Amino acid sequence: MLAKTSPEIGGMGHPIKRKEDLRFIQGKGNYIDDVQLPGMVYGHMVRSPYAHARITAIRTEEAKKLPGVLAVITGEDLAKANLAWMPTLFHDKQMVLATGKVLFQSQEVAFVVAEDRYTAADAAELVEVDYEELPVLVDPHKAQDTDAPILRDDREEKSNLIFHWEVGDRAATEQQMKSAPVTALVKAFFPRCHPAPLETCGCVIDFNSATGKLTAWITSQAPHAHRTVFALVAGLPEQNIRVISPDIGGGFGNKVPVYPGYVCAAVAALTIGRPVKWIETRSENLQSTGFARDYHMEAELAADKDGRVRALRVKTLADHGAFNAAAQPTKFPAGLFSICTGSYDFSQAFCEVDGVYTNKAPGGIAYRCSFRVTEAAYLIERAMDVLAQELKLDPAELRRRNFIPPEKFPYPSPLGWSYDSGNYQGALDLALEKIGYNELRKEQAEKRKRGELMGIGISSFTEIVGAGPSHTFDILGLKMFDSAELRVHPTGKAIMRMGTKSQGQGHETTYAQIVAQELGIPAADVAIEEGDTDTAPYGLGTYASRSTPTSGAAAALAARKVREKARKIAAHLLEVSEEDLEWEPGKFSVKGAPGKSKTIQEIAFAAYTNFPQGLEPGLEAVHYYDPPNLTFPFGTYVAVVDIDKGTGEVKVRRFVAVDDCGNIINPMIVEGQVHGGLTEGLAIAFMQEISYDESGNIQGGTFMDYLVPTAVETPSWETGNTCTPSPHHPFGAKGVGESPNVGSPAAFVNAVVDALSHLGVKHIDMPLAPWKIWQILKEKGVTQ
Amino acid sequence: MAIKIEKSFQAPEPAAEVWKILSDPRSVASCVPGAQITEAVDERTYRGVIKVKLGPTVTDYKGEAHVERLDEQNREIEMIGKGQDVRGKGSASMKMTGQIRELPTGGSEVITISEVIVVGILAQMGSRMIQEVANLMFEQFTKNLRQRLQQQASGAAGSGGPEEVKPIDAGSVAASAVLGLFKSKPKE
Repeated sequence: MLAKTSPEIGGMGHPIKRKEDLRFIQGKGNYIDDVQLPGMVYGHMVRSPYAHARITAIRTEEAKKLPGVLAVITGEDLAKANLAWMPTLFHDKQMVLATGKVLFQSQEVAFVVAEDRYTAADAAELVEVDYEELPVLVDPHKAQDTDAPILRDDREEKSNLIFHWEVGDRAATEQQMKSAPVTALVKAFFPRCHPAPLETCGCVIDFNSATGKLTAWITSQAPHAHRTVFALVAGLPEQNIRVISPDIGGGFGNKVPVYPGYVCAAVAALTIGRPVKWIETRSENLQSTGFARDYHMEAELAADKDGRVRALRVKTLADHGAFNAAAQPTKFPAGLFSICTGSYDFSQAFCEVDGVYTNKAPGGIAYRCSFRVTEAAYLIERAMDVLAQELKLDPAELRRRNFIPPEKFPYPSPLGWSYDSGNYQGALDLALEKIGYNELRKEQAEKRKRGELMGIGISSFTEIVGAGPSHTFDILGLKMFDSAELRVHPTGKAIMRMGTKSQGQGHETTYAQIVAQELGIPAADVAIEEGDTDTAPYGLGTYASRSTPTSGAAAALAARKVREKARKIAAHLLEVSEEDLEWEPGKFSVKGAPGKSKTIQEIAFAAYTNFPQGLEPGLEAVHYYDPPNLTFPFGTYVAVVDIDKGTGEVKVRRFVAVDDCGNIINPMIVEGQVHGGLTEGLAIAFMQEISYDESGNIQGGTFMDYLVPTAVETPSWETGNTCTPSPHHPFGAKGVGESPNVGSPAAFVNAVVDALSHLGVKHIDMPLAPWKIWQILKEKGVTQ
Repeated sequence: MAIKIEKSFQAPEPAAEVWKILSDPRSVASCVPGAQITEAVDERTYRGVIKVKLGPTVTDYKGEAHVERLDEQNREIEMIGKGQDVRGKGSASMKMTGQIRELPTGGSEVITISEVIVVGILAQMGSRMIQEVANLMFEQFTKNLRQRLQQQASGAAGSGGPEEVKPIDAGSVAASAVLGLFKSKPKE
């Protein structure tokens, strides 16, 4: 455990209130739509009603005639500037505005710019587009059929297959499947869902023709990467591009990609010569921006009769939509899905994934998830329950028999990862104790006799976060390090700028606490700034729970550099040698001479007023942190549900979440993150799905159909922690923001299936909506 | 989104009278709320528009209707229609068969089966909503047809038929969709 600083300093482990909330709760945040510039005009997107259609004509005359309309930009216009297509984040390209044909409903077709947003919206209605409908491909299982329409005629490969990817030992795994006495198979579909952040995507783009500077306020989780993409795509000099991510109202991966609206607004600003604002509507956000999941998965476990698992085989079909716009590290077409062996010590594993195109919105973003970890955790935790059912073994006991034991860390997984640290048994034991597992099982047995439906679901997940080490991890070639630049002012206050970007995670508080821990400067005295590429050091941004593992580490190491310089100044001030000094948070003292000390504030002042000759003045440091490995947070979640036989409604009676994210910076923020992630997991498990009908019409493109949980639907979450520090992280932290979303869907589904297992139910696909449960109950003759 | 709608209603007028209207696409169109025939391409093919208003969304389908089969003997008609919204909100196509049966009372029964495929913004409203829109349109259609039959019987033909060909209204659709939810309980 880390030494705890005083509450005044507020270093790591103190539940100090979030500094940023002061402005948020007063309505004084500065979000993208708050940005107002003189002469600003507004853009509105014309979108395709068809999932697959040839564009035969676009008539813009009527729209242009409407008073107040300044421009209507089409794909043909962009093509002249070679901007009709742009690269996606993953080895593909996507249309900015459609040329030739459209590939998904709601695809961007034209961009209207007007003096105000109402005129722009009206004018968009006047843009006439003639379409010739083409055969639609909705079902990914049919993507590789010989009679399937080829969606991407722009590609050389005349096929809808984007990639086939495999990892592990196929032959050895298959051998185990054949020879093991027991096998268990589960086919689980993780539906297409959407992060639906409170604030939709948007931008304000301003081009100053006198200076040649393009300033772009963008809802971006990765402002530096966006700047570089802008420079490469538009050919503008990078020093003339400034990307600013102001306050962001939730990202969850949705704000990692570059969207056509940003590019169109930039083109419009350059052509019209006035700042252009573009803000998505809610439906536009749900229907066209980065979705998540949409994985059709199969897992098979081979085990001994006592439940000891020998091998795991996974086969997955990934629906990527019309363009492969997955936000994933370059070398990982299925992200970190190969963490699918989970918390278990299997000797063999094999995993293969096929990615295909369909006539759906592009994406495959990491929704509160470190690149497909959610899919992987869900699959293995579901598969373990199916095996337990097969063996008539308690699911907690089956897990216990297969956990990687603490002494095996660092653990090399059969699919190639090196797990840093873990104590899975510890988290499971604490969770079962908190929930009162044995009593609940007794209660369940009694209720079954009375015909009542109650279930208990366990999920002992492992995450893999903090991407990542430069030898393996990059996005578009940019290595996934991150950074911190710390500057201590003469009065001992400080500012630190980061390569990451908070979207609500509380960075302004937690990063300040890291500095407080390392330097003893009170967290209240450390300002944190992020999101302005003109001032912040280069970094890859915030997603995949990477901020604490990367920028957090950089913050600690920058602070340690400052501390080393402070030691020199202290030695000078105290007229002793550096070796004679000892450090405690906030001051250097002379060993064996009580009272002879200098505070960090005194030292900071001296750094500008009285520094030793030959020493560089000032007190600042910058650190770019290239992590040696990923971090592996974990936990066990237990859900208890009751099912109403008459309506099929599932009530989550209790939910215990035990997380282990290593050393904690701010326990209150961790708890808040866990609450938020569990609520999103609840929504995914029970309420949400973006589905498409056979013509490619989006079902679930509004909040009428895509449901967001409120306090009414949300149970009271019970949380707890174990602490297994990461051995390679500078202060032993692992990252936590995504764990609850990664670990909870399996707990919910396992609980519902457990409630119905005596009826022969082995699996139900999410969302577990009442109608679906009710149908099963009807089939099984449990209800009329 | 494909939906199948089967509807029937009874009229006091004899089958022959009803057939007169139902076998003439122009008369049929005049009874469809929001519909208008703009051009006769040939005896069996017509161009026209149909306006559907749903919430803030107004869809102006412009297209063609064609009489595939006209069976005077059995009083059966089969029509196919296809239209695209003029502002690019999507398309709708329909295959409709209509049949008129004589009733022992001297009146008649009209039976229609329509298969509708809706693509675009309207289809996003989901089949529940579209089904209700169809129900409402059919109700309005029946009302208009009855009115027209009465006019025909009272010799007022030539007055141009019912005046009410307004598009289906939004609010009422939403309300009846909600009501429809509660009505559709299985009667077992």
